[in-house]
Amino acid sequence: MTRFTRLVGGLALAAALAAPLATSASAQTADNNQQILQGLSSVTNDDPSLTVELLRKMAQDAVAQNQPLGLNKSAIAQKLDKLAQITVQIQFALNSSIIRPESYGTLGSIADAMHHPILWNYKFVVVGNTDATGTRAYNLKLSQERADAIVQALVTLFRVSPDRLEALGLGQEALQVPGKPDDPINRRVQIFNIGTMGPMGKAWMNPQ
Amino acid sequence: MKGTIFALGALVLAATSGAASAQTMSYAQAGALIAKSCGPSIERFCATVNIGTGQMQQCLTQHQDQVPRQCFDDFAAVQTGIAKRVAAQANAGKACSASAQQFCSGVKPGDANILDCLLDSVKVVRPACKQTLVDAGWAN
Repeated sequence: MTRFTRLVGGLALAAALAAPLATSASAQTADNNQQILQGLSSVTNDDPSLTVELLRKMAQDAVAQNQPLGLNKSAIAQKLDKLAQITVQIQFALNSSIIRPESYGTLGSIADAMHHPILWNYKFVVVGNTDATGTRAYNLKLSQERADAIVQALVTLFRVSPDRLEALGLGQEALQVPGKPDDPINRRVQIFNIGTMGPMGKAWMNPQ
Repeated sequence: MKGTIFALGALVLAATSGAASAQTMSYAQAGALIAKSCGPSIERFCATVNIGTGQMQQCLTQHQDQVPRQCFDDFAAVQTGIAKRVAAQANAGKACSASAQQFCSGVKPGDANILDCLLDSVKVVRPACKQTLVDAGWAN
């Protein structure tokens, strides 16, 4: 842990040293990169029974059965809360899965973290969430398309291995603030660390 | 006089592009650069194209009369920069294996432990290793 802390400190220092030469935009993203690394590397509860397929089924069932939206966090959200995670804001065109250019830098920051050796041996699920405006079924579909678009950009432009990424749309089934279902705060992209690719340390510089 | 200014401009341009190609680029910088140089054109001409489809350059080229030259230059620079960074990251194990054996033999691999050890030993690791770590974006 001390080693990790020191390394992250080093990254922060690097960002600070680079800042005078960089534009404000890249200084901002360097900061994000550090937060992303920290958020995604704190693996605590690796639960093998928690799979993307299970979560997808839970969301589909909730929509099909039109399960009431409670004031507490949904069962899906509670399961996800246990995983190492970050929440990012990605801007999409209205009612579309087109990622707006202003978010390309944020996608790059996520890729920087995933290409760092701290995270090399881990797999991630990219989760798209909406608020509760619009129909549940539409929200589920749109959020899946948006999660797919993010994974596609990480793989093709930013060269993250597709083996390490899964996309999952949860629509409005894992609201951030269940008491305010229509609040835009619920619109967000989350990235979760869902376990290792293989035995730790088998290849210390395995390129992904 | 005009000729001199033009020559000076060309020199500055050459120096700038030379500096850019001499170093790799972080993925965040790459994304931000495309957004800065091409963002307005993308929103205007290619608003239905997603960046991950690989069709963006083709779409921009279809409107090249109206898209700034800088956009095409920076898009190409981004692809070169990313390719170099990917290559450095892929090559780090090989470039640093001798240094890792020499300085980090007692370190348990995984969770970037070896990288951390190499960074602790950065003053003594072999130059090729250090350069690769810099190009990979893990040292500076």
